[in-house]
Amino acid sequence: MRLLVVEDDPALARQLAERLEGEGYAVDRAADGEEGQFLGETEPYDAIVLDLGLPRVDGLTVLRSWRAQGITAPVIILTARGAWTEKVQGIDAGADDYLAKPFSMEELLARIRALIRRSKGHASAEIACGGVVLDTRSGRVTLDGRPVDLTGHEFRVFDYLMHRKGQLVSRTELTEHIYAQDFDRDSNTIEVFVGRLRRKLGADLIKTVRGLGYKLEAP
Amino acid sequence: MTGPVHGGRRLTGSLRFRLLAGAAVWIALALALAGLVLSGLFRDHVARRFEAELTNHLDQLAALIELGADGAPVLRQPLSDPRFRRPLSGLYWQVGPGEAPVLRSRSLWDEALPLPPDEVADGDIHRHSVVGPAGRQLSVLERAVTFPNGTAPLRMAVAQDEAELRAVVADFNRVLWLSLGALALALIAAAVVQVSVGLRPLVRLRAELAAVRAGRSKRFGGDFPREVQPLLDDLNALLDHSEEVVVRARLQAGNLAHALKTNLAVLANEAEGEAVARRVAEMRRHIDHHMARARAAAARGLPGVATPVADSAGALARVMEKLQGGGQSGGRVTVTVRAPREHVFAGEREDLDEMLGNLMDNAMKWAGSRVEVASRLEAGGMLAVVVEDDGPGLPADRRDAVLAPGVRLDESTPGSGLGLAVVRDVARLYGGDLRLGDSPLGGLRVELVLPAAS
Repeated sequence: MRLLVVEDDPALARQLAERLEGEGYAVDRAADGEEGQFLGETEPYDAIVLDLGLPRVDGLTVLRSWRAQGITAPVIILTARGAWTEKVQGIDAGADDYLAKPFSMEELLARIRALIRRSKGHASAEIACGGVVLDTRSGRVTLDGRPVDLTGHEFRVFDYLMHRKGQLVSRTELTEHIYAQDFDRDSNTIEVFVGRLRRKLGADLIKTVRGLGYKLEAP
Repeated sequence: MTGPVHGGRRLTGSLRFRLLAGAAVWIALALALAGLVLSGLFRDHVARRFEAELTNHLDQLAALIELGADGAPVLRQPLSDPRFRRPLSGLYWQVGPGEAPVLRSRSLWDEALPLPPDEVADGDIHRHSVVGPAGRQLSVLERAVTFPNGTAPLRMAVAQDEAELRAVVADFNRVLWLSLGALALALIAAAVVQVSVGLRPLVRLRAELAAVRAGRSKRFGGDFPREVQPLLDDLNALLDHSEEVVVRARLQAGNLAHALKTNLAVLANEAEGEAVARRVAEMRRHIDHHMARARAAAARGLPGVATPVADSAGALARVMEKLQGGGQSGGRVTVTVRAPREHVFAGEREDLDEMLGNLMDNAMKWAGSRVEVASRLEAGGMLAVVVEDDGPGLPADRRDAVLAPGVRLDESTPGSGLGLAVVRDVARLYGGDLRLGDSPLGGLRVELVLPAAS
């Protein structure tokens, strides 16, 4: 899953990025409204963490502009403006969630997970496909009830495919959603991760649709 | 309010009364003076005419009298005025050497004019006022004529009843005072109209003032006369100034809060741990509490602010329903708002949002499946917004505890809500209050009492 963090306070932006990366997200950062707006318009994010008091362009303006252009990525506003009036404005501008600073990092993580899950159409916190279950709250993966250990990159690929289970995911789409913008992308490594996932979770779980991409389906 | 005690003060304290009373006094004085002068002038004029007529009669009489062969005076022909021939007509003449007449007008019948003893030089005319026939007051003009045959001079007198003069003057005065009275009434009516038209801007001003106080308009607008406009410009400047002060104070408090909160967030993330997290939550609550209080304290008494309950509650309900997302239990809570448009809070939107937001957020956390928000008007210009849920409710013995400062209903649930104590603080700053009770839905019923905009 790929996230955009638009936050002008450098210390907080660094903390957010480090923690989110530690949770297995690919994270892009923008330090002002202009850059944030541009990234949000050009990259396919699975969720966006947006501050309101931003230099250059205000967060609410950025958000309204995205929504006006039909960008539907779930947005959680993370701001020091915690008054209810401001929450109402944020939600009315198109935000999906609102968290006031200072915040608990665990709370932010939980809300981001829930936002991504719901935006991909999953009502429950556990996504199951055949005998494979992903608990989105803990990031635990089980196969027929037994826990499966995945490396960071394996988890990223599996996490995305699982959220999009039953749908065709092109190699480009997969690459875009598991790597941050500044990462040196090599689509051949995707092949490697998919191979390892097949070994750990069963050969039939992830199908290769020749020339088009992958599809995660119950065998 | 309009009892007899206030009657006197209200009357003299009224500009309209002062202007009208002044106008009435001046009109009455001026017309009375004019009446006296006119009446005097007329009386003089009539008196002169009266005397001129009598002189005329006297001249005619003198011309018609001659001495007969026996040396007694004879009237050559009757005087032209027929009244001399009608008995007791009020117009008389008599001729005689002394006080007793030798010749007299038929109108005198057998009476005589009681002339006082007098010596009148030739060519002079003397005037007397005597009581004549039938006891009437008469004006008498008299002259003496000496004939060449050398007998004693003849006293010739004509007299006219003064009642005629008085009747004419009285007639005139009656008409005069009646017309002056009518004129006075017309002038006072004109003054009433003038005062009403002149004071109309003040009536309009009062309406504008009421509108500003009630929050229907922010500033005094419209065209007012030159005498009133400076006052309104000053009032508008004052309103601008207080608003500016409030906005600036809020901005500064807001900036401080933002800076503190972002830094707190960084600190909290840097130092993971239960103790730090609790302290940070505590500090945020302090900041929020004092921000809310500062906002409300600054906004209180600021005229021209009004917020319909429906606007705030409706927007909050929409946001609450959206934010609950896939709530912990999964069960969705529906929020119903029943607030008529005319229930308007006399205060800032932000403050109402903050109070209601916290109450509704609280209700959402505890509710089983529904939260109801309703407003109603209370006595004394207040309105109550009632927030109820169908959750477990709160035992009566714990209600005081949750209203103590710094206590939250659920210390373990993270969130942005202020405690009920802060909501009550803010409500009290506005002159309102917060009451807790049992809801017929089964849960807690919170009544937020606030001043209503009229």
